Amino acid sequence: MNKKRYWSPVTAGILLGIALFISFIVAGQGMGASGAFARSTAQIAYSVDPNFAQNAYAGKYLKHGNALLNWTVIEVVGIFIGGFISALIARRIKPEVTRGKGYSSGKRLFFAFLGGVIVAAATRLTRGCTSGQALDGAATFSVGAWIFMLAAFGAGFFFAFLFKKQWKGVE
Amino acid sequence: METVFPLFTNGFIDNNLNLMLGLGIGIIFGFILERGGFGTSAHIAPVFYFRSLIVPKIMVTAIITAATLIFVGSLLGYIDYSQIFIPTTYLWPYLIGGMIFGLGMVMSGWCPGTAVVGIATLKIDAIFFALGLLVGMFFYFDIYEYIIDFANSGNLGKFTIDKLVGGDIRISYLITVAASLGLLLFVIAVKKVIDNKGEN
Repeated sequence: MNKKRYWSPVTAGILLGIALFISFIVAGQGMGASGAFARSTAQIAYSVDPNFAQNAYAGKYLKHGNALLNWTVIEVVGIFIGGFISALIARRIKPEVTRGKGYSSGKRLFFAFLGGVIVAAATRLTRGCTSGQALDGAATFSVGAWIFMLAAFGAGFFFAFLFKKQWKGVE
Repeated sequence: METVFPLFTNGFIDNNLNLMLGLGIGIIFGFILERGGFGTSAHIAPVFYFRSLIVPKIMVTAIITAATLIFVGSLLGYIDYSQIFIPTTYLWPYLIGGMIFGLGMVMSGWCPGTAVVGIATLKIDAIFFALGLLVGMFFYFDIYEYIIDFANSGNLGKFTIDKLVGGDIRISYLITVAASLGLLLFVIAVKKVIDNKGEN
């Protein structure tokens, strides 16, 4: 489709690596994503019920005031803006449900949602996701990043057979 | 020579400026992720069927690039490596949590970072994934007190490669490059075997 407008993986990888480096030497941390979703959830729960500030896990996000006043949250807002600008220039902004040929949208959206639930809980155990744990950790020589990456991609390949129809012909 | 980096942890920029620069850094990340093809699950899920290697290629190139710059900058004394944030390694939660993450990733075709770009480009499946993330976070907050022991088990501290094998940052760097390239060559080889068999 619009593949010509995508960068080659090596170009994208080198630029992403340089951006990660800049992030590390400016802020002392790299790219993050899951933390912003965790903090958003905590802030929403707190605004519904202030007692949520006592929650065993989310309490740490709320004790310094608004959970959203945080580097990773602001950086994720940036990711949204940057992704939007790039897609706007490349004319790639269009509503879409990516799925295999003949696969129902409803089922696809159900699995997207359920996958999100599963991924969220997993990122709290692993203290980060593919960005904050795998990329950042590997670039800064953390052993944990490799444990996470091998486990995550290993499981992805292992469980792939369950979702063959959903991704049939998708590339 | 004076160590000036990271700027924030060394006190060269204050918290407000750091947050503002964080927005700019995020915009760069988002732009690159979208240009790399991470704005659609169509480029992420096929990795698990060896139809596309975009994700491992970008990840490995990014890891080697960033690691090289951090390594050289630290050796030359410009960067204080000890001030860079490295998450604590929790062996068992990372292993089990990583596997759960992998299941969710192939099920949804997204991870939290790519989904932000997906939402920005109106991918409906990314929006459902993100709603799932909020529900999943809430679920974890609620069950945390019951799994607190497991969640904090196998604590190895700030566990870098040199602490595992002995040596210093040089050995960490060499192993990082070797492991990244080795892993990439391995998946390229597997893809070749599968392509030759004519499956898919």
